[in-house]
Amino acid sequence: MSRLETHGLVIDVPGRSGGDPLDLALLPGQVWGVLGPNGAGKTTLLHTLAGLRPSRAGRVEVDGVPLTRLRRRRVAQCLGLVFQEHHDGFPATVEETALIGRHPWLSPWQMETAEDLALAHCALARLDLAELGGRQVATLSGGERQRLAIATLLAQEPGVWLADEPTNHLDLHHQVAVMRLLDEQAAGGRAVMMCLHDLNLAARWCDHLLLLYPSGEACWGPTDRMLVPAALERLYGQRLASAEVEGSRVFVAVP
Amino acid sequence: MTQRLPGVVGLLLMLMAGLVEQAAADEACAIDDAEQEICLTVPAERIVALSPGATELLFAAGAGEQVVAVVDHSDYPPEASELPLVGSHDRLDLERLVALQPDLVIGWVTGNPAGQMERLERLGIPVFRIEPRTFEGIATALERLALLAGREAQGRLAAERFRQGLAELAARYADAPPVPVFYQVWDSPLMTVNDEHLIGKVVTLCGGVNVFGGLARLVPRIDEEALLVADPEVILAGGRGEANRRWLEDWQRFPELTAVARDNLFFIPPSLLQRPTPRLLEGSRRLCDRLEVARGRR
Amino acid sequence: MAGASLRVCAHGHPTLGQLALTLGLLAAAALAALIVAVALGSAAVPLTDSLAVLVGGGDDMSRTLILELRLPRALAAFATGGLLAVAGALMQVLLRNPLADPYVLGLSGGAAVGALLAMLAGLGSALVSGSAFVGALTATLLVFGLAHGTGSWTPSRLLLTGVVVASGWGAVITLILSLSPARQLPGMLYWLMGDLAHARGPGVALGLLVLVCLLVVPLGRSLNVLARGGLQAAALGVPVRRLEWLVYLLASLMTAVAVTTAGSIGFVGLVVPHLLRLVLGNDQRLILPACALAGGTLLVLADTLARTVIAPEQLPVGVITALLGVPVFLFLLHRSR
Repeated sequence: MSRLETHGLVIDVPGRSGGDPLDLALLPGQVWGVLGPNGAGKTTLLHTLAGLRPSRAGRVEVDGVPLTRLRRRRVAQCLGLVFQEHHDGFPATVEETALIGRHPWLSPWQMETAEDLALAHCALARLDLAELGGRQVATLSGGERQRLAIATLLAQEPGVWLADEPTNHLDLHHQVAVMRLLDEQAAGGRAVMMCLHDLNLAARWCDHLLLLYPSGEACWGPTDRMLVPAALERLYGQRLASAEVEGSRVFVAVP
Repeated sequence: MTQRLPGVVGLLLMLMAGLVEQAAADEACAIDDAEQEICLTVPAERIVALSPGATELLFAAGAGEQVVAVVDHSDYPPEASELPLVGSHDRLDLERLVALQPDLVIGWVTGNPAGQMERLERLGIPVFRIEPRTFEGIATALERLALLAGREAQGRLAAERFRQGLAELAARYADAPPVPVFYQVWDSPLMTVNDEHLIGKVVTLCGGVNVFGGLARLVPRIDEEALLVADPEVILAGGRGEANRRWLEDWQRFPELTAVARDNLFFIPPSLLQRPTPRLLEGSRRLCDRLEVARGRR
Repeated sequence: MAGASLRVCAHGHPTLGQLALTLGLLAAAALAALIVAVALGSAAVPLTDSLAVLVGGGDDMSRTLILELRLPRALAAFATGGLLAVAGALMQVLLRNPLADPYVLGLSGGAAVGALLAMLAGLGSALVSGSAFVGALTATLLVFGLAHGTGSWTPSRLLLTGVVVASGWGAVITLILSLSPARQLPGMLYWLMGDLAHARGPGVALGLLVLVCLLVVPLGRSLNVLARGGLQAAALGVPVRRLEWLVYLLASLMTAVAVTTAGSIGFVGLVVPHLLRLVLGNDQRLILPACALAGGTLLVLADTLARTVIAPEQLPVGVITALLGVPVFLFLLHRSR
């Protein structure tokens, strides 16, 4: 179980001068949602948290150790990422793809063990992909690919999950299934942070929210304190209406 | 007055006819190696030679003074290298060539770009193509070039000297015991000549037997293995440059070769053999000498 | 026959057993090709004599033919083919571009310029090889330096730099060819087409091939991940920058040695990795050693044909690799649909 903390972190969004320093603590069991309009830096934030790009100031720590001091392999054992975009240069099967999630856990000379294979199969089954194990990734639909990316992360078993729009391309059923999966992971002691465009999913599944403004301003806190219509309208520059449906808050954009 | 008119006309006509006859008698005609007849009414005064071999032949035929331009690598006789260049044999500077206003261009049948040659002909410049493939071809080339350049006597003399020299060699080695010979044109890739090639003919002339004489191509590329199997008694090599023996030293790797065991590895300066010019006689003499040396080592 | 059992690997990851079986079959094919290469030539040596020589017997002529001519040449062909195929596979992963080959970054151009200049100066074959090697390394460093210039290099930037520099080399090669005397041209053209006739002493190339194969086996899984893209690989714990440098330098060194041994032989580096991917899937732990064996086998066979088809005359080996490889590749591509 890992905790991810930032201290005075300013992400490096090209063309943006300043930005509020972020002091976040992503603890085991928490589900964080990152909200913001296009170009606010949500993806940049996730990549910075994963150590894939340098920050402008401050630092990211995993379990109290600065990310920059850890080897990449160690980082990948603590921390996994679902990317927003998937591109495939070479042909690969679904099973092979899920199996690369095991990479951080294997030494260079090791072959994947039966246990790794079982984990990959399990992950695929969990995302309704068990039947597709032999299929070429290039032949999958957008939603299937998205689920495959999540299955790969599931096989990776990191303590911290960073997911960039995990519900992208997914039908309603699978949106809920994936959010439930992330929720279960958090319940099992992992920390989850995801970028979302859907306020309703954020309201329903996240316990903490981080609002990122295009200007670099940021505010964060527990979901019920952050879901203030006025703040959200300012965030998106869009008028919103909200209502209560079956016990959860629902937001609708109104023209 | 009127009565005398027919007489005047007759005289004029006779005069003109005489002139025409005179011109026809002066016209020099020769057939080139592409089977085209070239006729010049006056001997060529400004000749451009488009191969190093043509340059050499022109000088040997006594027409050296009329040569106004040559191509790259025309290094023999030495005064030829002083002459202006019109590019290389396969990439001619037509502009410069035409600007020199030649009245005869000596081309190379397979060496010069055909398109550029035709262009020259369309511009009205006579092109005489040569590419001797036989000893007699070299001799007649000397005569034909001399004829076009108005140096018939010198040309005939040079040709006769060449024919005579070769005839002497032929007579001397007609009954000499045969010597299996490998002639190395190039080392990388390894290339030789067949019997159709002039060098192959020189080998035969000297009583040698070209071990790759029967191959189909004029300059075949072969592998070392084939040479080992053929096991020639003599290895003759040209080289990069006129005095480079490195190719021969290379064969020392195979002591089981007869030519290596008997030290019959000989260098012959490539320009003496590889150009179809009278110097081939000198090259032939040297080649024959080497084979004679090899016979002595039996 | 082998295809059916190998196809299994294409789905899912290969087990150690499948890996050993596939590589064992390929190694057997390589050995068979080497035996054919040693047994065939423009001189007829009975097979029994060939085998006798290999175990230390035979007459002098057979010994010379086989031990001094055919065997070194066959081994050089094997090493060159293997190096080119592995270098091609590595370049394809490095550039995330299936169309990459060992020469795509202009390395063969640099080597060719070095070799042709040495030939123009009339230097011997050892110096031509040395000059080609220097040219190849110069090309590598040039492209690397230029692509790296501003501090960040992406595969596409590297590729673009390499392709532009390669066409620059091409122009220089044409310039040298057009300035060279006619008698030099056959040697130069044969060098450019690739030629094993003067490949002596396959030791360095073979050694490097074995070394690289040992080195890439532990890197294989990281390369699998890298093939999915740099960010994804970094997220999965691959030290991307370091690995890419290593791959680039290894592939360049291999190509430089191959080019130095036999001139620039095309086709092997591009098609052998693809051919194997079509049959074996894309696990680098399998593909890279398989490339070494299959690339080597292809070039040994091609060179044997080049030596013997119109013996004692010789054909350029690059022509044969293409004539052999194109139909096989097209067949597999057609079948895979």
